Amino acid sequence: MATPEIAIATPDQLEGIKDSYEYGFHDSETDYAFKAKKGLNRRVVEEISEHKNEPQWMREFRLKALEHFEARPMPKWAGGHMDAIDFQNIHYFVRASEKQGRTWDEVPDDIKNTFDKLGIPEAERKYLAGVGAQYESEVVYHQIREDLEKQGVIFKDMDTGLREHEDLVREYFSTVIPANDNKLAALNSAVWSGGSFVYVPPGVHVEMPLQAYFRINTENMGQFERTLIIADEGSFVHYIEGCTAPTYTTDSLHSAVVEIIAKPGSRVRYTTIQNWSHNVYNLVTKRAVAYEGATMEWIDGNLGSKLTMKYPSIYLLGPEAHGEILSIAFAGRGQHQDAGGKAVHVAPHTTSTITSKSISKDGGRASYRGLLEVAPGAVKAKSKVVCDALLLDEHSRSDTYPTIRIGEDDVDVGHEATVSKIGEEQLFYLMSRGLSEEEASGMIVGGFIEPFTRELPMEYAVEMNRLIELQMEGSIG
Amino acid sequence: MPFSQMTETTTTIDVCPAEELPAGAARIVEAGDRKIGVFNCDGEYLAIEDRCSHDDGPLAEGPFDAGSCTVECPRHGSLFDLRTGRPRTLPAYLPVQTFPVRVEDDTIKLEVS
Repeated sequence: MATPEIAIATPDQLEGIKDSYEYGFHDSETDYAFKAKKGLNRRVVEEISEHKNEPQWMREFRLKALEHFEARPMPKWAGGHMDAIDFQNIHYFVRASEKQGRTWDEVPDDIKNTFDKLGIPEAERKYLAGVGAQYESEVVYHQIREDLEKQGVIFKDMDTGLREHEDLVREYFSTVIPANDNKLAALNSAVWSGGSFVYVPPGVHVEMPLQAYFRINTENMGQFERTLIIADEGSFVHYIEGCTAPTYTTDSLHSAVVEIIAKPGSRVRYTTIQNWSHNVYNLVTKRAVAYEGATMEWIDGNLGSKLTMKYPSIYLLGPEAHGEILSIAFAGRGQHQDAGGKAVHVAPHTTSTITSKSISKDGGRASYRGLLEVAPGAVKAKSKVVCDALLLDEHSRSDTYPTIRIGEDDVDVGHEATVSKIGEEQLFYLMSRGLSEEEASGMIVGGFIEPFTRELPMEYAVEMNRLIELQMEGSIG
Repeated sequence: MPFSQMTETTTTIDVCPAEELPAGAARIVEAGDRKIGVFNCDGEYLAIEDRCSHDDGPLAEGPFDAGSCTVECPRHGSLFDLRTGRPRTLPAYLPVQTFPVRVEDDTIKLEVS
């Protein structure tokens, strides 16, 4: 056989890839410093790379990723829900302002107004100097607090991270999620922009959460942020992302890639509260590796969007590594929340917990899709998967698609799932105490998701409860 | 010698004349019901099974980088170290089998066990 020159997968090679696997306002659109034409081709990818003045290896990485994206079929296992996405009707890169705001005063007023409307200023003021705000495709405000810098912590937007810490980025970028991992990861790899780059040196505990706010603001604009977090040995970091988007009539796409490396003895917590507008396809690949004695925690709240497909994953690669995935999903009218998590036990004495809670209302559909895998040799692995679904009316739907693959005898694995509806007795009891039916339902739902909200910082817990209340009133989006 | 090694049978396979596999080249040979990828990493001959440990798909026909001695799975992008058979990137996490290769009388020979 001749030397293989195939750089991109052929249809033959891709054949059989698992089909079954796995607030309504906006600002002026005229003030963009740069906006790429709609559509996706080699020239658009080159323009993005040129505009960012990237090194050659990143340009080549993007172009190769584009070829992977074009070669791969659209995933069919989601029941064809993604077929409506018109990839040629999307802006792949928009830059809101020429330079990044160095201080809050330098951030443009309309951008500040947006954050005010989002009701985030509390956290903003509190952690002003530590906030990275992703507005459009690029972070406009991102300054690390001095005390973090003194500790050697790097917290930059991904573009700056690449410019200032190229060697570190190159060593880890795309090692957890290769460009060819799946079609959407390939798309992100080709057109990524923004996101965060975090490095925590050995033994450093970052006491305050690192926060970044994301927002989509242009009709038909995709948001393709790329985040890479490296927690060195014995370190700790809590990263929080909160997402909201204005409502538009045409479909919008968010496809992020998040890679996390938790080195031996480290602990990383990644918290997400997402509230995309109801026209957004939210297709995200999040994956972490945890080495010996490390702990990785995904705390994931999914509200809004038209379709969310997101399964935060943890590969427990070192002995005694621990993984925790806690996710909630709220599916209202016309929404499909396909969420879950994956834990892969590769090393002995590894432990994991996956807790998934979903609420379906007004014909909404919530699905749990999860994987628990124990590799041969991962003796004494322990894992518990709990899926609880709450159906608020008879038109709504809940599905569970658990996959469990065990390649080792000496393990302790459990899976439990419940589907329930709000009981008449519960409602009667609360209403007899003077609550309206709506208030009573809201309280029951609040209790249902309490295991999630209690893990959030106070201001996020308040925001989360408010979002749930708005969802219960059907007034979001 | 341990019993397991005594009972192991090793077959030597002629791959091709050395001149037909220059530096940076690769080829796939069949050994019984298995396929094995043979690579020339700038003068160092290496061989691994043509099977990605992630989903058992083909591996050796993926992009080969002689500089770093790696091959990339064409299906999901895992990068395998040709010297050790270990994946350097996810989604694969288990190693694949490696095989000794030598050149004898200007012929590349593969030892399959």
